[in-house]
Amino acid sequence: MVVYSLYILNKAAGLIYQRDFNDGLQKLSSNDYLVLSGTFHAVHAIASRISPVPSSSGIEVLETDTFRLQCFQTLTGTKFLLISDPRQQSSDTILRRIYELYADYVIKNPFYQIEMPVRCELFDRHLAAYIKAIS
Amino acid sequence: MTIYSFWIFDRHCECIYHKDFKRPQRVLRPPTLASTTGDTKENAQQQQKRVVSSGGPPKGTGPLTVDDEAKLVFGVVFSLRNMVTKLAGDRESFFAFKTSKYKLHFFETQTNLRFVMVTDVRVEGIRPILEQIYAGLYVEYVVKNPLSPPEHPGGEGVNNELFSLGLDRFLTPLEIFE
Repeated sequence: MVVYSLYILNKAAGLIYQRDFNDGLQKLSSNDYLVLSGTFHAVHAIASRISPVPSSSGIEVLETDTFRLQCFQTLTGTKFLLISDPRQQSSDTILRRIYELYADYVIKNPFYQIEMPVRCELFDRHLAAYIKAIS
Repeated sequence: MTIYSFWIFDRHCECIYHKDFKRPQRVLRPPTLASTTGDTKENAQQQQKRVVSSGGPPKGTGPLTVDDEAKLVFGVVFSLRNMVTKLAGDRESFFAFKTSKYKLHFFETQTNLRFVMVTDVRVEGIRPILEQIYAGLYVEYVVKNPLSPPEHPGGEGVNNELFSLGLDRFLTPLEIFE
């Protein structure tokens, strides 16, 4: 199982966390990362609007030949994007586990300001350990 | 399993073909202001107003018109394709995305024709079907038709009976068309 990268977007489309775990995708500049998260946020909203049946969610999975992008949106509007190998089928459970880590080590950190970029060492460490364990 | 709708966009970002199959919500195009009487100045003003209002983004939260939906569908696939090329290199493109209620399949030819099919979430791997629509139907009936224009400026579209019939005949017996 190869996990390429993780993005966390706040509810205003701001990129608050980005980490690459494995090579395989193109290297982007930090500006490109911001553009990417902004684009995804917009497309996610439009995707629920063009649904042929009422009350659809936004994009959950994007499938391409080289990677698979899974999106998990929390009830508060924070989005977790996981880019992994196209054969990876259990991205959803991985994202839920990452959300737990985020809740434990970012949200419960008294020095973390909500909606601001994540700079929490404990979160970094636990996330890296978890990704290493599953790959 | 169901097919909800099918779209073709040309390389000028114009929707040149659209067909709805089974979809519960759809409104027709909004009534146009086609006034034949009245002085020309007022007429021109109305025309101008219409152009301005139809060029803007779709408003409200009700069901979308076909034109507005075409714009949104194209916007989504265009942005996603750009995103994917940025991440994975120039020759890459995505083939599907899924939400909780529907799945959108995408196929782009070398000439930047884009085929989009919106289906149920359970439909898997219909890229061969889209390729067949392109190679077997679009090329045969639209490209090889001497009366069909090579480009479709102004959203004139593929107005081709053989293509429409062929598409129906091709899709209806498929397993995904239930």
